[in-house]
Amino acid sequence: MFSTVKDGLRTGLITGIIFTFLVLIGFPSVASNIIGDILGNMDSLVEEARMPAGNLVIFIGLIGFIAGLTVMKKNADVSWLSIALGGLAAGLLTGLFIGLVIYLIGTIDNNGVDFRTYLPNLGADQIRYLLFYSTPLSASQTYLLYFTIFGLVGALARKTLSELSIYRDKIDKVMSAFKSQVGSSKIRGLLNNKLVLIGVIVLVGAGLYFLPYVWGSYWNYIMGTVAIYILLGLGLNIIVGYSGQLVLGYVAFFATGAYTFALLTAPTPHDIGLNLWLAVGISILVSVLTGLLLGFPILRLRGDYLAIVTLGFGEIVRILIRSDLLTPLTNGPKGVTNVGQPTLGGRIFSDINYMHLLMLLVLVGLFVAKRLKDSRTGRAWIAIREDQTVAQATGVDTYKYKILALLLGAAFAGLSGALFASRNQFTGPEDFTLMVSVNVLCIVIVGGMGSLPGVILGAFVLKGVPELLRELADYRLLVFGALLVVMMIVRPEGLWPARRKKFKETNIRSVQVKNKPEVEV
Amino acid sequence: MLNKLKNLKITWGSALRYIVGSIVIIYLVVRVLQTAFRDGTYGPDTWLRFLIAGLVIGGIYALIAIGYTLVYGILFMINFAHGEVMMLGAFAGYFVLEAFGSISMPGSSDPNLSLLNAQPVLALVITFLVGAGVSALVGYFLEKIAYRPLRGAPRLIPLISAIGASIFLQNAAQLLFGPQRRQYTNPDLLWRGTGWLIPVGEETVMLTYTGAFSFILSILLMIGLLILVKRTKLGKSMRAVAESKQAAALMGIDVDSVISKTFVISGILAGAAGVMWGIHNGLFNHYVGFLPGIKAFTAAVLGGVGNIPGAMLGGMLLGLLESLGPAILGIDFQLKDVIAFTILILVLIFRPSGLLGEALKEEKV
Repeated sequence: MFSTVKDGLRTGLITGIIFTFLVLIGFPSVASNIIGDILGNMDSLVEEARMPAGNLVIFIGLIGFIAGLTVMKKNADVSWLSIALGGLAAGLLTGLFIGLVIYLIGTIDNNGVDFRTYLPNLGADQIRYLLFYSTPLSASQTYLLYFTIFGLVGALARKTLSELSIYRDKIDKVMSAFKSQVGSSKIRGLLNNKLVLIGVIVLVGAGLYFLPYVWGSYWNYIMGTVAIYILLGLGLNIIVGYSGQLVLGYVAFFATGAYTFALLTAPTPHDIGLNLWLAVGISILVSVLTGLLLGFPILRLRGDYLAIVTLGFGEIVRILIRSDLLTPLTNGPKGVTNVGQPTLGGRIFSDINYMHLLMLLVLVGLFVAKRLKDSRTGRAWIAIREDQTVAQATGVDTYKYKILALLLGAAFAGLSGALFASRNQFTGPEDFTLMVSVNVLCIVIVGGMGSLPGVILGAFVLKGVPELLRELADYRLLVFGALLVVMMIVRPEGLWPARRKKFKETNIRSVQVKNKPEVEV
Repeated sequence: MLNKLKNLKITWGSALRYIVGSIVIIYLVVRVLQTAFRDGTYGPDTWLRFLIAGLVIGGIYALIAIGYTLVYGILFMINFAHGEVMMLGAFAGYFVLEAFGSISMPGSSDPNLSLLNAQPVLALVITFLVGAGVSALVGYFLEKIAYRPLRGAPRLIPLISAIGASIFLQNAAQLLFGPQRRQYTNPDLLWRGTGWLIPVGEETVMLTYTGAFSFILSILLMIGLLILVKRTKLGKSMRAVAESKQAAALMGIDVDSVISKTFVISGILAGAAGVMWGIHNGLFNHYVGFLPGIKAFTAAVLGGVGNIPGAMLGGMLLGLLESLGPAILGIDFQLKDVIAFTILILVLIFRPSGLLGEALKEEKV
């Protein structure tokens, strides 16, 4: 019985620390704003109007509820009373912790100390809101009360869920029976029918064709960005997902593509004015050559070294682009403006045309990536990813295939770079920071390494959703970082993992033994 | 010797690598001879200035590089977030100094005399203790939260987790403390821009107090670490775990606790480096750990990753190369970051085991 209390106290302490951190970075009011958006009772904090403190209570309740949920370990068989005690302990400790923090912050603020010198997100407005516009003492009591209640509720909810899960097996059975009878086989059968397949393709195609007209330009902009990142993700997926080489300087190829295209088509600084489609081809070629230049010496390295060398390479490219040395060539920190725009029937591409072009290219990219994966080359990559030594022993020329993967990835990046520069009509060195590489890497990993639907899903989640939640823009990278760590611990295979060939039972067992922690002490 | 030559396999790839490498080295030698002896663009005073700057920054790099090497030696992973550990140490030190600066000396007649200037030694000691302590805590929890659950996972996975942790810590610091640059308030004793003047020819070169202080402190810390690793029981168990985790566990060493302690030690060194960075350079922000972190990794690779004296040597060398390099090569000073990365690539191509490292087994590379 006391083990749950102990767990509860631990959870309470952790939740307290996390919530304090959230308070210090000014997150509660942002969360309340979002809750207000959802509920439609939004008052702006900026306009000095009182934000409904109810939203803050909802946020507190949510955190307390989650804390309560996590008290009970998976499949732990504990009684209702002890789980209730655990939830109570978690809520109480969190409440005490936060109450104390809020009380301290409130009292210090009342004494006229400005927190903003050191903690810029903890302004006076924020503090008054956090105090529910009342005194520090009563506010801290409110926190204590709500955290306790919701911690308890969360723990009880978790217990209820686990009670329900006894029935889950039965539900699963019914569902799978339903699926096997009605679901996949029939749908698959339908898809095998050529007429139906063509019909579906036409429908989807028509949908995709008309979507940009319906969306409006704001959505076209966001989805265009998502599409460019899908292309980048497909390219990096070949390098990281298929062949298992961690390249952190992917932005270098993106930058070469964008700059090659921009310099070949923009009036300044060179005024070459090359044909656009030729310029796209040359951009891809230059990116591939960059890949060759980088890959030739360093692809003998493995894992960590490769990551850091490519990261260094990405930074070198950016520093060189903006350096005085290359300013005559690249226009330095000012960047290149008036990058060439494709035309259609004499008119410059509208955002709708761009969207169509990007959709088409994404489809082509998906097709290429899919065919590559299923080819002999793709199998060689996967063999290298799984075990380089074994792959080499079975006759795969690992060096050659790794370089090939890098070159193809670079080609994708070159293409997206050209598109990026053309769509923005501008390209500058600050577009190509390390964060671009990290973003693309996140897309590949969050989606699922080696998984094509994963790349699309990842690009939507990581590039599309943050655009929609503008309030959260400041917290985006924080969430990215945490997401990467959590994904690696909880679900390293990604949101939409690539399907892998199943081993036989006996093989699985031996593999699992191999993957066990090397030492257990 | 002859045997070695016979065994030397020359493929197209390696031949090309050697040719390109020789061309680069020959060019470098020619450049060095040109700038140092023929051109005379820089007088001896400038060279001395570069040398001092290089040694000071080299000491800081060396301290961070040791952290990389210790962790790499044991876990074979790059602790990508190590630069961020240093950055948080710099923040902690800054807050301590601010606190000391804002309290006025009790019992003093002069109200402007802060505790910082009344008790500078005490203030500095506490600053370093807190900075190192915060970094050690961060290192400890970093290992516990982001790396320990991933023991035994494929090697890509902890590395990605480390990248995630690095991004998280950097942005957490930005959100907490704001993106603007902050300035360390040093005690008057160690005020930046003051120092001993060394006459060189007709010019004088200033050896700043902060620079000398940082350099000496980093050397002391390195000696302390060497004693710890070579002479103490903890050091012995660390070396044993680095050699083989299984064997160490069989000998009754608590591997997990040794790994935790390794992270704590590397955190202490990084925290001290962070405070030094702040005291010596003054300006810092949440981004301060990124470049020194990567460069320190370069230093660790240069010296031979997993090798502690190698990391020290690599750090010092990298600091010197970075400050002397642009002058020697006659390139812009804004390209000094490129030098570090180029060195990294060259070392990895020609001598992946580094200057002092033994040839690593393939699984370790």
